[in-house]
Amino acid sequence: MASERYSFSLTTFSPSGKLVQIEYALAAVAAGAASVGIKAANGVVLATEKKHRSILYEEHSVHKIEMITPKIGMVYSGMGPDYRLLVRQARKMAQQYWVTYQEQIPTAQLVQRVATLMQEYTQSGGVRPFGVSLLMCGWDEGRPYLFQCDPSGAYFAWKATAMGKNYINGKTFLEKRYNEDLELDDAVHTAILTLKEGFEGGMTEDNVEIGICNEQGFRRLSPAEVKDYLANIA
Amino acid sequence: MSILSYNGGCVLAMKGKGCVAIASDRRFGVQTSTLAMDFQRIFEMGPHLYVGLPGLATDTLTVHERLRFRLNLYELRESRKIKPQTFSAMVSNLLYERRFGPYFVEPVIAGLDPVTWEPFISAMDLIGCPNVPEDFVVAGTCAEQLFGMCEALWEPNLEPDSLFETISQALMNAFDRDAISGWGGIVHVIEKDKVTTRLLKTRMD
Amino acid sequence: MFGQAILNDNLPGAKQHHWSPYTDNGGTIVAVAGDDFAIIASDTRLIQGYSILSREQTKLFKLSEQTVLGVSGCWCDVLTFTRTLEARMKMYLHEHLKPMSTPAVAQLVSTMLYHKRFFPYYVSNIVAGLDQDGKGTLYSYDPVGHCEKNRYRAGGAAGAMLQPLLDNQVGLKNMKGGVLPDITKEKALMVIKDSFISAAERDTSTGDGVIINIITKSGVEVMHFPLRKD
Repeated sequence: MASERYSFSLTTFSPSGKLVQIEYALAAVAAGAASVGIKAANGVVLATEKKHRSILYEEHSVHKIEMITPKIGMVYSGMGPDYRLLVRQARKMAQQYWVTYQEQIPTAQLVQRVATLMQEYTQSGGVRPFGVSLLMCGWDEGRPYLFQCDPSGAYFAWKATAMGKNYINGKTFLEKRYNEDLELDDAVHTAILTLKEGFEGGMTEDNVEIGICNEQGFRRLSPAEVKDYLANIA
Repeated sequence: MSILSYNGGCVLAMKGKGCVAIASDRRFGVQTSTLAMDFQRIFEMGPHLYVGLPGLATDTLTVHERLRFRLNLYELRESRKIKPQTFSAMVSNLLYERRFGPYFVEPVIAGLDPVTWEPFISAMDLIGCPNVPEDFVVAGTCAEQLFGMCEALWEPNLEPDSLFETISQALMNAFDRDAISGWGGIVHVIEKDKVTTRLLKTRMD
Repeated sequence: MFGQAILNDNLPGAKQHHWSPYTDNGGTIVAVAGDDFAIIASDTRLIQGYSILSREQTKLFKLSEQTVLGVSGCWCDVLTFTRTLEARMKMYLHEHLKPMSTPAVAQLVSTMLYHKRFFPYYVSNIVAGLDQDGKGTLYSYDPVGHCEKNRYRAGGAAGAMLQPLLDNQVGLKNMKGGVLPDITKEKALMVIKDSFISAAERDTSTGDGVIINIITKSGVEVMHFPLRKD
């Protein structure tokens, strides 16, 4: 059948040993909206820019930061539709783990499984790699976790990192500002400042989304809370 | 007669103060014929984790191997020791996957939490319905006798030595009233820094 | 052909109605014999399926000044059996001009049960009392009259649960030590109470209360203590 003949993987090695499809995917991420994650002593923060192309857009209808389990949250840079599929799969994996072990999935386990899924999309027939990088934050066994997960399926544990547009500047900024015993409140503050580095136009509670995770679990901050934090930046 | 009582045998576990004990008989038989007096139905699944699998002997072996398989994968994947609670859920999950063609075993789990050293015991039926009580669990062909003994002998906060005495008396007197259990006993007392395994000499009839 | 179709109970929707002359009304009996006394006790709950029919029904029947019978099982059989037994004992009294001894009652119980070998009384019997020498004595039965003389016995619904406990605590089985002395009345009472408390924890058909009969040469003393009622 014709469809069978042509359903080989698009991700094929170039003569120089690269997988250009993955590099294109990373380019899609680098072109996407900026996201930041910072680990504090008592929690983790995720923050992202949420630009709207029109003033007619209903601001608080679609979210970029999502809860996966009560103690794990996720955000992305890159292509929104690809992200939604990953959110769905991640939630499913977390529930799968729960039914087998009657225990919340550890953040590292979820990251590993999501990364495996992303890797499959670099080697399977009839699909393309995901056009997103993920930041996943969680809290288990009394300490915070922050991971980044790339389209290739590679994943890293960070103290703090930035992805998407201007991520190099963001990282440089974080390298200067980060210290190990940051409190969660200060981390939120630093995250906003990092986003501000490459931000075009003014930051408002309508174009910034923030999620925090600590002992109590993961939650997305309400626009009012975001507004309060924004008011505090000099 | 039920397949669960084809080979005979029983397992029992009790909580103590900072310790747990798990015990079983050592008979292997086919209906009323006794074929071996050194059968193992309690298995070490970790430094502080034991599982007893009374029931159909062939399933005792198979379920033990499948649990080993799953547990090894879990501990490699997560690079940490499993908690007894989690292991219990794993056993339950394994059994329920065979809901309509079950393994004929009624597992008993005893262990200490690898982080908090909290004692844990649980038992389940052949399709994995868990029972996680505060005192003791029993399973096997003389479960009823074991219930009577445990209910009378067990008390809270037993020290390891008294726990051994209690579980041994419960086990021996219970299986002496069961024709297809007995022929020697084995008791493991699990403490934070040691596990004591003793073989019991019992009447052999 | 047509008849076959009507009689074929494998047809979908066909129901089979079964009736059994037996029912299990639960209950537990425990008895211990000492040197100069015998104690027999029963719980006071009467059940049918998941329903409780009574919370204060003794299953002990005082047959004479030195013999008490404990019966559990199918309650209608218990009633019929004990009435017939009482009648047979009265006939013995009239014929021999003396009350039946405990061993004689024990033999009569066995004979009466075996007489219904092919439609048995669905009962678990224990006869407790003093023999002609004033010694505590005790006999237990299966439903068709097999009789065994014991020093201690648990019968009825929680019999399997309690028998190993009595083996251990009264028979001193699996215990270190030499010759076993006869059990004291106090120790026997304590073990009986503990055993019923244990049975009430795990057997739904045993509970509510316990009636204890202590048989000595001065007669039958009756005691009562409560059990959990759930």
